[in-house]
Amino acid sequence: MKKTDIGVVSFMYIVCAFFYYHMTKLKASSQTYPRFTIILLFGLTTLYLIQMIVAAKKYGVESGVNEVFKDFQPAQFFVCLCATILYLVGIYFFGFYIPTVIFMAVVLLYLRVPPLYAAIAIVVIVALIYFAFQRFLGVKLPVGTIMKALKK
Amino acid sequence: MLETLSLMGAGFLNALSPINLLMMAGGVAMGIVIGCMPGLSAAMGVALMLPMTFTMKPETGLIVLGAIYCGAIFGGSISAILIHTPGTPASAATAIEGYQMTLRGQAGKALFTACYSSFWGGLLSCISLYFFSPLLAKLTLKFMSAEYFWLSIFGLTIIAGVSSKSIIKGLMSGALGLLISTIGLDPISGVKRFMPSSYFAEGINTTCALIGLFSMSQVFILAEKKIKARAQATKFTDKMSLSREERRIIRPTIFRSWIIGNLIGILPGAGASIACFLGYNTSRQFSKHKEQFGKGSIEGVAGSEAANNAVTGGSLIPTLTLGIPGESVTAVLMGGLVIQGLTPGPELFGKYAPMTYTFFAGFVLVQFFMLGIGLIGCRGFAQISRLSDAILIPCVTVLCFVGSYAIHKNIMDIVVMLTFGVLGYLMRKFDLNTAAVVLALILGPIGEKGLRNALRTSRGDIKVLFSSVVCWVLIGLCIVGILSPIFMNRLEKQAEKDAVAGTGEDVEKLTEEDSV
Repeated sequence: MKKTDIGVVSFMYIVCAFFYYHMTKLKASSQTYPRFTIILLFGLTTLYLIQMIVAAKKYGVESGVNEVFKDFQPAQFFVCLCATILYLVGIYFFGFYIPTVIFMAVVLLYLRVPPLYAAIAIVVIVALIYFAFQRFLGVKLPVGTIMKALKK
Repeated sequence: MLETLSLMGAGFLNALSPINLLMMAGGVAMGIVIGCMPGLSAAMGVALMLPMTFTMKPETGLIVLGAIYCGAIFGGSISAILIHTPGTPASAATAIEGYQMTLRGQAGKALFTACYSSFWGGLLSCISLYFFSPLLAKLTLKFMSAEYFWLSIFGLTIIAGVSSKSIIKGLMSGALGLLISTIGLDPISGVKRFMPSSYFAEGINTTCALIGLFSMSQVFILAEKKIKARAQATKFTDKMSLSREERRIIRPTIFRSWIIGNLIGILPGAGASIACFLGYNTSRQFSKHKEQFGKGSIEGVAGSEAANNAVTGGSLIPTLTLGIPGESVTAVLMGGLVIQGLTPGPELFGKYAPMTYTFFAGFVLVQFFMLGIGLIGCRGFAQISRLSDAILIPCVTVLCFVGSYAIHKNIMDIVVMLTFGVLGYLMRKFDLNTAAVVLALILGPIGEKGLRNALRTSRGDIKVLFSSVVCWVLIGLCIVGILSPIFMNRLEKQAEKDAVAGTGEDVEKLTEEDSV
């Protein structure tokens, strides 16, 4: 048994409890299917928990963290994750193109891509989105609240 | 019969329209690029391109997705042959003989064999697609509400078992997906359920969930690992062709692998990664030149590649007729079908038959594009396969953002996609099954309507769920579905073991690329 699986089981029970709490507020006829799925998830999670306990008695308990996060590069991962979240925020305020160029440049240079290759990648992606999505498919890309206000 | 023939003819005429041909070429090229890059999978590519098909006609959209699917399965062989790293798990067996041929200075010949065999495997698989799909679709005419409920459960038991290390964890993933699918307005009474805002009135956007679970999660997987430089793709100078004698030698291999791949494809729960090893093993068993295996055998490459591409047509049969995709890629393809407002089943062969037959014809033509583009562009694709993960990470992220925004032009869609991306990443880290969640999101509403309508007509009597022979057959299939991973895992392990026996290959290394 891996200790990491305790997290999985706990997560599933929290999900069940959350949905069950909100389900009780629904009228009876609307409860049928959510109740069925909650029971299903709860039952399967409990079954897995039993399997875990049996495995723990038989083979002992191991951490599992090293296996799950083998070769994990925390700095690189969290920089990419934060950049992605900031990119989303940037799109909301400044529209699509400016944050895209900044996001790509930051991540590419952080990941040590040579500047020339980084520039080529940015140009290719921006051109692809402009021609394929905006021109060919007619997708309207986000303008951004600040950019919209400035235009007015 | 005549009607079917005329539909087939009309399908080809429609598929030959300039826009469809253009899309086939683009889709195949895109698929090969995705397939040849280790770290990107066919399912991820199809999910990423899904939003691009929204503004297209349904048949054109499906043709594009089918083209990406076929292209990606073939594309995996390029990096397998040239840099000994399969682009997709479906090409793991190709790397065994293909790379040996490269070392012997026969990379061109290996690539030609892969392309030629993939073409025939894919093309022959279309026969069963044409033949079995309408027959199987007719079966579903007998389905009532209760049967649809069991069918959705059957679909989940099948996909939950596939690619899950633990069957229970796979089923838990499916159940979690079912629970998430209840978010939104009640489909019968219109009551708000588990909705934090009115944005979720129509439920979770399946496309955003697909992009998040398959594509964005892969970005996080790439971002957490140390960026390594890929091996230099071998520059090949030998001619990309086979002699008449060599073509004669691989002909029976292709034929056998077609049958294997097709059966594996039709069988829900099995996929191209199993088919390639089975195709490879069978080619060795029947070969008159067994001594060449492990040293670079064209029969080995042909056996693996014909089998994995024969899966494509076969796997579409249960997807289009029963709504049960056998693997991740077809689950995403089914998502594309549902998003276009189409329901798998008899309607596709009745009301929407012209569209379906245009897609089938397009699927046939895609194989020709795959052959042409594959042969012409091999050298270029070989260089692309070396593209570093450092470049892929921001590029794929941007495409995920644009793709999810393009659906409703709503920033909230990107938030949902990103949330599912993180969820998908964590699920993959803890051996849960993302494909089961996606399928549950698609099948959940079908199952709910089935269950509630059945209970309503029987005034709450649960016996209605066990009232027909079809219900019992489906219950039996659910049990088989739950148990099938045990059999499939054994089959896959045995096939891998047989494939590498005596070749000195490390199968763990060949299949280690993390793909959905």
